[in-house]
Amino acid sequence: MTTQTVVAGAVQVVGGVAAAPLLIGLTQQVKARLQGRRGPGPLQPYRELRRLWGKSSVEVEGTTIVYRIAPVLVAAALGTAILLVPAAQSAPGWGVGHDALALAGVLALARLVVCAAAWDTSNGFALQGASRDLTLSVFVEAALVLSLAVAALVSGTTDLRGIVAGTAGDGPWTTPALALGAIAFVLVVIAETGRQPVDNPDTHLELTMIHEGPILEYGGRDQALLQWAMAARHWLVLVLAAQVFLPHAQGTWWQLALLPLTLLLLCGALALTETLVAKMRILLVPRLIGVGAAVALLGIVTWLVETA
Amino acid sequence: MIVVLLAGLATLAGGAVVAAAPGALATGLRLQAAGALALGVAGFWALGDGGTWGASFTSALTPHFGVDGLTGLFLGTLGLIAFPSLVFASAYVRQDGPGRVTGVLTGAFVLALVGVLCTRDALSFLLFWELMTLVPAAIILVGRNTESARHTVFTYVAITHLGGAGTWIALLLLAHEGAIGDPSALADGSAIQAVVALAAIVGFGTKAGLMPMHAWLPRAHPIAPAPVSALMSGVMVAVAAYGLVRVLVDWLGDPPPWVGATVLFLGGLSALGGITYALFQRDLKRLLAYSTVEHLGIVALGLGACLLMRTHGADQWAAFALAAALLHTVNHAVFKALLFLGAGTFERATGSLELDRLGGLLRRLPWTGGAFLVGTLAIAGMPLLNGFASEWLTLQSLLHVPAYAGVWDGTLGAVALAALAGTMALAVLCFVKVIGLVLLGPARRTACAEAVEPAVAMRFAIVALAGACVALGAAPGVLFSRLTGLAPWSGAGGESPVHAGLALPGTGNLPTLGLLAVIGGLAVLLWLARGERRAAVSPTWACGQLVEPPLQWTSAGFTKPLRLVLEAVLRPEREIEVTRRGGVVQEVSYTGRVPHLIDVYLYRPVTSGALLAAAWARRLQSGRLGTYVAYLVGLVLVLLTAVRIGLIG
Repeated sequence: MTTQTVVAGAVQVVGGVAAAPLLIGLTQQVKARLQGRRGPGPLQPYRELRRLWGKSSVEVEGTTIVYRIAPVLVAAALGTAILLVPAAQSAPGWGVGHDALALAGVLALARLVVCAAAWDTSNGFALQGASRDLTLSVFVEAALVLSLAVAALVSGTTDLRGIVAGTAGDGPWTTPALALGAIAFVLVVIAETGRQPVDNPDTHLELTMIHEGPILEYGGRDQALLQWAMAARHWLVLVLAAQVFLPHAQGTWWQLALLPLTLLLLCGALALTETLVAKMRILLVPRLIGVGAAVALLGIVTWLVETA
Repeated sequence: MIVVLLAGLATLAGGAVVAAAPGALATGLRLQAAGALALGVAGFWALGDGGTWGASFTSALTPHFGVDGLTGLFLGTLGLIAFPSLVFASAYVRQDGPGRVTGVLTGAFVLALVGVLCTRDALSFLLFWELMTLVPAAIILVGRNTESARHTVFTYVAITHLGGAGTWIALLLLAHEGAIGDPSALADGSAIQAVVALAAIVGFGTKAGLMPMHAWLPRAHPIAPAPVSALMSGVMVAVAAYGLVRVLVDWLGDPPPWVGATVLFLGGLSALGGITYALFQRDLKRLLAYSTVEHLGIVALGLGACLLMRTHGADQWAAFALAAALLHTVNHAVFKALLFLGAGTFERATGSLELDRLGGLLRRLPWTGGAFLVGTLAIAGMPLLNGFASEWLTLQSLLHVPAYAGVWDGTLGAVALAALAGTMALAVLCFVKVIGLVLLGPARRTACAEAVEPAVAMRFAIVALAGACVALGAAPGVLFSRLTGLAPWSGAGGESPVHAGLALPGTGNLPTLGLLAVIGGLAVLLWLARGERRAAVSPTWACGQLVEPPLQWTSAGFTKPLRLVLEAVLRPEREIEVTRRGGVVQEVSYTGRVPHLIDVYLYRPVTSGALLAAAWARRLQSGRLGTYVAYLVGLVLVLLTAVRIGLIG
């Protein structure tokens, strides 16, 4: 194993596990500044995690093992997803492969587990969030798979390491295919991170939220695991955006060096959209993401026409 | 191998005879199960050593029988499903007159399925094919002789026979051209090749439940007894997929691109349509039947990708796509049988399968409920279980269609890829609902609160199938490496080296054992790290309200956002009636349903047209002698005129 593989692997794991909450903190801080508030500082998510870890969990009447195991399984699935997504074009094997479509499957597992737990508590608000989340996921999943397919076709493999390498440099950007895939992926990023205009991460009002809904009953360490999982989700999609769907350098060292900068810019962009765009009516969101999927499809057609 | 096969057949037939004797039903069914087990062993044996036995395919019309790799795979699947189903049946079928007849007929049904798989000539194939259709019809009528059951069976037999005409046309044409077992006999691009392809797609597609020929399936599968439902939904549709593979892949030579495109289109339509309508079902067994349509659609997607890539010369990926389709057939058979047997158990234990009136069964039936949970996770395509492995393979196959198949077919492949991704997400929505309404939450009826575990035989069957889901999910590569060798073309690379996981060129691989170890290991670590510190038990939070039964969520409520989003496509009907007295609302009644559009816009006009035509034709039959004499005179006159002007004679 070469030095760059080891360093890239360390960045991937340490970044995904430890630095992920920072992404949320940065976004919230930039947003606060944009809105003329002082904000709690970018380290706030860590303070929340520490606070929650010190509290005891809540046990809900009449629940089964499904409710108890859900936070653990969600965090395990997201942990596996972190191993699947490389931080640069070289990464250690980790024994789970680096397949783009396997990533979609692991994210679906996390989603299903949370929604099953919502049924276990039979909390109406939780189920409302679950049913909305799953409805949107139909369109998000299509957009995710199609945008990954654009990148896979451009780089000739569905191995994410190969995709990062194949989309590096300015070569792939001389034709519009990857750019169209990137447009679709922007919508995937917004939906997966639960940010406006799809969902509002600041609200804790039962009726307005999507992703907060199904985890309404959890507290203490369960809640800490779920909040970390949400941060890890930010890491995954933002790293993919930075190393696949945005222009990035060739070579592992340059990719690793520029990654923090790109992530910072992406957090700023998320904060800016949240400040400028209002939350959309829930039933209009599928249309928006459906358009994204159609754009990605157009990207594939463009690629087909170019290579024909 | 052949000794095991013949012993299995003899035991099966013996079991069918024994089941007829009074008081020996359970023994007979257990004998049948032993026979089915032997069949399965023989089947996988044949697949494993790749050898063939008996005759090879012939266009002659005399009976020939034999076994090869593909037959072995489906025989193995039959054994894998029939063994637990028959063990289940030995405790499930009631020991009375109709029960004994059912016991005999299940044996006959399995024998008919074996017959379809092992025949090597057109006529015996068609004979067993018809038996395979008619025996379950008889089983349904023996068990449930009501007006609605008779009507359903009529629909089933009518549609499968109208569609089944395609099977007859395809096979007899192939036999006539000498093309059974000889892919070079049909000229590529000839009209006869096109007719055979279309007839086979209609004929086998009807039996496989591909949309829009599926209308019989969600009606007939749910009303059969649970073990027979498992055999119908697990194996009978798989046998239809076997027919499709035989004709389209083995015998058709190199078909034009539209054949693959048609299969791909029907597959995408069935996958999306099947799961969408499954979502809005309120009866568990009907929901499962619609999901069979979905999964056969996924199989057709793999098959279509195989045909398209074969046309465009990507032989290796064509072989992968074929193996993906075959693996998904096996996986679907396993988890669908498991879910149907589970549904049968729940029906016995609680008396009803209405989704909104179950609940809390995981607590009452930990074994059956736990196994059922594994089945729902597998069918929802969760990683670590078998459904995801073959769906991942199908996704990869579809993704590689654009890479090899040119602009038009490539675009079709990309659309199919999006359809499959959407289907998988819809399946998660659908089966989360099933998990929630059936297994979790409070019991919605007293019968559910008092339900108990069934007899050991029933429990064993369900848990064994759940074990198969886990095993096939942990090591799908063992079967997959055999399946790639079943592609009949050279250059497919033969069998790939055996891994537990899936490793394909041009992908990031799916090391299933690694995923299992990492997800499982992380989960255990986090479970330990979280510890057991818990506050006192608290009630569910509902904004301070008490959570009462009227606040329970229903199936319709959970799927409402999707129904609203897809309103333009699904055209749901809803009526709200508000009764007021003196300005005060007394009661509000709500009815809503999602009509099945293919029934409304395709089948209803056709059936009403057919009835009109029949009514009109009936006027010819007045029953008066004079009229018939007039017909005869008229006929003679017409013939004489025709001869006179030289049309005939």
